[in-house]
Amino acid sequence: MQGTDGHVVAEGLVRRFGTIEAVAGIDLVIAPGEIFGFLGPNGAGKSTTVRMLTTLLRPTAGRAWVAGYDIVEQSDAVRRSIGVALQDAAIDPLMTGRELLALQAVLHGIPRSASHDRGQVLLEMVGLTGAADRRVGTYSGGMARRLDLALSLIHEPQVLFLDEPTTGLDPNSRFAMWEELRKLNRERGTTVFLTTQYMEEADELTGRVAIIDDGRIVAQGTPAELKAKVGLPTLQVTMGHGQDAIGAESILMRFGEPVPAPPGAAAVRLEGGASGVAAVVRALDEGKVLLEGLELHLPTLDDVFQEATGRRLEGAEPVTAEPEGQPQR
Amino acid sequence: MSVAVAQYAALSRRSLVTTIRQPRAFIPPILFPLMFMALSSAAFDRTTQLPGFPPSDSFLQFLICTTIVQGALFASIAAGSDMAHDIEEGFFDRLIASPVARTSILAGRVMGSFVFGFFQAWFYFGVAALFGLTVEGGFLGMLGVTIVAAMFAAGIASIASAFAIRTGSSEAVLGAFPLLFSLMFISGLFFPRTLMDGWFKTAATINPLSHMVEGMRAQVITGLDVSEWLSAVVIAAGFFVVGLTLASLALRRRLSVSS
Repeated sequence: MQGTDGHVVAEGLVRRFGTIEAVAGIDLVIAPGEIFGFLGPNGAGKSTTVRMLTTLLRPTAGRAWVAGYDIVEQSDAVRRSIGVALQDAAIDPLMTGRELLALQAVLHGIPRSASHDRGQVLLEMVGLTGAADRRVGTYSGGMARRLDLALSLIHEPQVLFLDEPTTGLDPNSRFAMWEELRKLNRERGTTVFLTTQYMEEADELTGRVAIIDDGRIVAQGTPAELKAKVGLPTLQVTMGHGQDAIGAESILMRFGEPVPAPPGAAAVRLEGGASGVAAVVRALDEGKVLLEGLELHLPTLDDVFQEATGRRLEGAEPVTAEPEGQPQR
Repeated sequence: MSVAVAQYAALSRRSLVTTIRQPRAFIPPILFPLMFMALSSAAFDRTTQLPGFPPSDSFLQFLICTTIVQGALFASIAAGSDMAHDIEEGFFDRLIASPVARTSILAGRVMGSFVFGFFQAWFYFGVAALFGLTVEGGFLGMLGVTIVAAMFAAGIASIASAFAIRTGSSEAVLGAFPLLFSLMFISGLFFPRTLMDGWFKTAATINPLSHMVEGMRAQVITGLDVSEWLSAVVIAAGFFVVGLTLASLALRRRLSVSS
């Protein structure tokens, strides 16, 4: 047995479909109470990994333990310990939210007396009390995902697996979902394993992230660590009309290595990190350089992805450059 | 109530509730056999005078069990197609990702069809009564018929579920429909075997459906007949056992491939 409680451990997990190797040897150690992100493009092997860890798919090779139980040998115990919300919210459109919660409770062997109150609490938590008696077919995408989250929590699981929980949601619904997950993690200590193709989501929500491509983990760490490995922030200054770019470049060079910039602009990789911006601005001011614009580019997880794979992350959303740890709202 | 029974009941209920909430899907399969009943009782009433025709008051009396079997067949194929839909839509994954007993996934669906088949048969009796149907076996005769109908519905639902679980495609389940339809036609369902001839009669005699419907029909046209009823029960149970075996094998295969 490997790990206990909220642990997720995988060793050399492989899944082949015929000759295609969807997951090509994945090693993971996720500590109890972590929010762990699995970031990668479509077809990278994210869902296949989740399906294996949630006992829906038998691994071709390798082993894994969830909450201390072997996913193959003790699959029933695994299923009792986990909550699962899969990619296409598999929610029966003909049933109401409340009915589905009651059904899910029965599936997990929760007595009727307890399930009613529990369902009520969850409906409140995900803000669906008002819509609880409406058929799910009438729900918006965000409501359906929130209900799916509530369903996956009915038995108070130790580990929650969410496969692309916010794909297809509008930004507001996405932020609301993030908030729910943070709260859940903070208040109950639930371990959250989520897959995403949004860098922003991995960046904002997860404590640690693994970048997966072509069935392999190509980078793993906290978003800050990963970005720090890729490199330093870049500062680009745009000169006013009639200004000499060369003068500005010579000043910028004092702060780091110059990098190519469009005409009328100069850029530098800041050796002292983003906190060096103020010093650069002061130096430019002293050098009588008139600035028209100033842009700071922080390395993104997309840069990390590109560094690891040589490609940009498909379907990714732009990440606005903001210092680590500040919510973008 | 034990956990397994509660799960079984909850899944049966879901299967029933989702059927009833799709009137567009469940009303036509109920109405079609009724329409057929109305048209043929009007058209063929005089055939009951033919020598060799089983002694019946009316063609309606002869036909009511056909309608019941037809209705059970249609509804149960729809149940199979719903099961395939669950697989396509991912509800099946939700079930198998939960610690629910594997057998209740299938049993819930089949039990739902049993209950639906039972009430549907009473509904057909009710409609036919409005058009002057008399049942020689009385209430017990009708009860006997509706129990066979429910068992048959559960049997067909498990056969259709076997298809659904094996293929995971609702189209494939509906594609199997003509096969069951021909099984219905080459039988004593629509016309008495006593009036058939040649290879058709041989085929209809081999077809277990003929014997099942005749066992049901006896309760309506001649009166309570336990041995006829038992033979119908045995055949319906046979469909059920075969279907459940096929469906369990398909389920085991799907779970071992996927889990």
